[in-house]
Amino acid sequence: MNKFILSKKLYRNELATFYSFLIGFLIAIIVGSIILLIQSKNPFDVFSLMLKLSIGSVNSLSNSLNKAIPLILAGLGIAIINSVKLWNIGAEGQIFFGAIALNFVYINTSIENSYLYIFLLLASGFIGGSVCILLPALSKVLFGVNEIITTLLTNYIVFGLTIYLINGVWKDPNSLNFPAAAYVSESVYLPTVFGKLSSGFLICILFTLIAYYIKDKSVFGYEMRIAGGSALTAIYAGISAKQKAFIAMLIGGGFAGLAGAIELLSQTHRVSTGISQGFGYTAIIVAAITGMRPLGIFLVGSLFGALAIGGSVIQTIGVSSYISEIIQATTLFGALIAQFFFSYEIKRVEDD
Amino acid sequence: MKNPILEAKGISKSFGNIKALDDVDFFLEKGIIHGLLGENGAGKSSLMNILSGIYLPEKGTLTINGKLIKRLNPDLASSYGIGMVHQEFRLIDSFSIKDNLTLSKSNIYQNDFNEAFSKYSDIFALNLNSMTPVSELSVGEKQKVEIMKLIFNNSSIMLLDEPTAVLTPQETVQLKVSLETLSQEDEKTIVLITHKLKEIKDFTETIYVMKNGKMVAKDLDTKTVSDTQLIELMMGEVKTSKFDKNNFKGETKLEAVDISFTNEQNIKTLQNVSLEIKSGEVLGVAGVSGNGQVELANIICGIIKDFEGRVIVKTKDVTGKGVKSRKKLNLSYIPENRLGVGLAPGVSVLDNSAIKEYFQASFGPHLSKNVLLNSLNDLINKFSIKAPDVKAEISTLSGGNMQKLLMGRELISNPDVIIAAQPTRGLDVSAVDSIHNLIIDQRDKGSAILLISEDLDELFKLSDRLIVMYEGKVVIEIETELATVENIGLAMAGINE
Repeated sequence: MNKFILSKKLYRNELATFYSFLIGFLIAIIVGSIILLIQSKNPFDVFSLMLKLSIGSVNSLSNSLNKAIPLILAGLGIAIINSVKLWNIGAEGQIFFGAIALNFVYINTSIENSYLYIFLLLASGFIGGSVCILLPALSKVLFGVNEIITTLLTNYIVFGLTIYLINGVWKDPNSLNFPAAAYVSESVYLPTVFGKLSSGFLICILFTLIAYYIKDKSVFGYEMRIAGGSALTAIYAGISAKQKAFIAMLIGGGFAGLAGAIELLSQTHRVSTGISQGFGYTAIIVAAITGMRPLGIFLVGSLFGALAIGGSVIQTIGVSSYISEIIQATTLFGALIAQFFFSYEIKRVEDD
Repeated sequence: MKNPILEAKGISKSFGNIKALDDVDFFLEKGIIHGLLGENGAGKSSLMNILSGIYLPEKGTLTINGKLIKRLNPDLASSYGIGMVHQEFRLIDSFSIKDNLTLSKSNIYQNDFNEAFSKYSDIFALNLNSMTPVSELSVGEKQKVEIMKLIFNNSSIMLLDEPTAVLTPQETVQLKVSLETLSQEDEKTIVLITHKLKEIKDFTETIYVMKNGKMVAKDLDTKTVSDTQLIELMMGEVKTSKFDKNNFKGETKLEAVDISFTNEQNIKTLQNVSLEIKSGEVLGVAGVSGNGQVELANIICGIIKDFEGRVIVKTKDVTGKGVKSRKKLNLSYIPENRLGVGLAPGVSVLDNSAIKEYFQASFGPHLSKNVLLNSLNDLINKFSIKAPDVKAEISTLSGGNMQKLLMGRELISNPDVIIAAQPTRGLDVSAVDSIHNLIIDQRDKGSAILLISEDLDELFKLSDRLIVMYEGKVVIEIETELATVENIGLAMAGINE
């Protein structure tokens, strides 16, 4: 009789995360194909159409990249928070709160110079995201409350607040009873850079580099790694693990809040339930697949943006857009399994 | 060897590109206490892990009771009666002694537990109720329960990895008696893994010696083999060093005044402790673990802030200030707990090498990886650390190399004050020697050194003055040359003449 045992590998391939992603993506494509075949669709036709309509032209490519912006920014925020081994499940709420904070500032201020105004509004979005995670962050460092639960619950609170605002005080009288706040003025729309690509994507590139710098090149990133590695070592080193956790959470929440602000200024132009279509949750997938690496988040986020666009366009040939969500989820699933096999080996043991 | 109960032949095992075991033979005879001697990283623990089925060897054969075993696993090993006590305890703290002893499915005293427990409590001189939670036990008592667990799990071959590392001298003598009883009355086959010569000579009947993954001597008769012979086998060379105590002592660099501390469990762990160390002086702190030494070190180093009394480093009063205030005054702390306090598990070798002075590699918010890498390379060269991949997790280093990294990191800045807690615990003779030399070297460079240790040889060898701590108080303060092992030992046991 044979038995199998698991043993952890001492050394792990540096590119393991990347290979895991490729394996996961391949599995996802296979699973997606099987589902399409069951529906008697030719997977090759569907996928080539998806490819063509998501990256085949300047317009479709810019649509895909626009879609990637909130995934990347929220994913980066999650990765920064994970440096201290904490999980932010609240990016979705922080995205909404970023948009709400932006709208609040927009309603109560007025600045002539539109660039300055846009800057102020984006900053409000960032700060809004930080404010949104303030309660979970405080309860974590003061009382040790599990941040997974509190950040998740904040999502429901913020979503309720959004519904309240767009049906109540902020409801646009000209929206023909559609629950949404009034549009912001065209002067504060984020300009496009080429095709339909929003300048928000440039901000996204900038913040990817900032997140990379914070995590890998800064003193703060180093202190977060030590604090995340061992609380006792942090105390010994004179590093306040709580302070690092608190600041990391505020920065990470801010990244997601900025995503909401960019989404408002470049896509929806008003506060509505359409500010996020689950970006904050998909961002967790993006961050987890890449092992919390900022540059990886940028690439995988871009791919997932394309997948989302591809998924929405194939509806025109009678294929559900859920196929792209299945691919995203299966990629994570496959990648996590692959990461497991890069970290552990299964050994066969003979029993006699 | 007449009739071995276990034979391991030609065992080889590598980790990454490090060969941990190279063609190793090992034989065990029933009812005998065997000694396995070797430096840290010589391969002793790896060999034991193979015998208990935790690792699979790449080459070699294992024969137990004359039966060839192809692939041993922990389950199978325990069914053949092989049990191991690891250096780190494997007890469940919140469970009672009884629950811990009867937890395993291979436990044989389910029905007549009380009878067996009282029998073995006598053998181990363990005076405890079996319903006591393990968390309330002292380290020495936990060790006894660990060994009893093997007996309760019907182990006939008992592998004990450095069992005396955590024991007081009295407990060590007691352990010797217990093990002799087990081998003679119960015919238990025992392997004592250690790097302490004295114990291997005291405890065992036959000795095996490992060096660099090879078995360099097999089945030596303990009665006839000499100390020098064993040291030569283990080290390849003999080192005996005595440090002169004519060192120049300068101005006071560390002062602790009237320190008292009550911990979270409301136990007064320190009572009116005062001490003073001059530049170029080593003050040894003797005492059994848990008599306030860790708290004292943590107070001096700024980790514990809510204490009574004052701490003065280089004439600056740092009472109430944190770790960083001490770092600025160039105080180094080598904590007792290496992995978990001194080093952060799961974090790279490189990151761990910078914990003391990472801010020196910083330019504003920027942390220069090149500066960190250069400092690490200095450490690796100066302290001959074996680190195959500096970006890999710290746990890829052997225990000895971890301690070298930690010591090197704390000493390379030529600190004014050094607090060293159990700096050589669990290390091999040559590593101990080099760490002793490092400490004396620092003393001669003018550091004020507080050396907390349970190893009396070490304290006598290095210290200018000794204090003994018992139940949070300093019970003796004495010049080392006036001290005797007897009066220090008595003070450690809390006996006042």
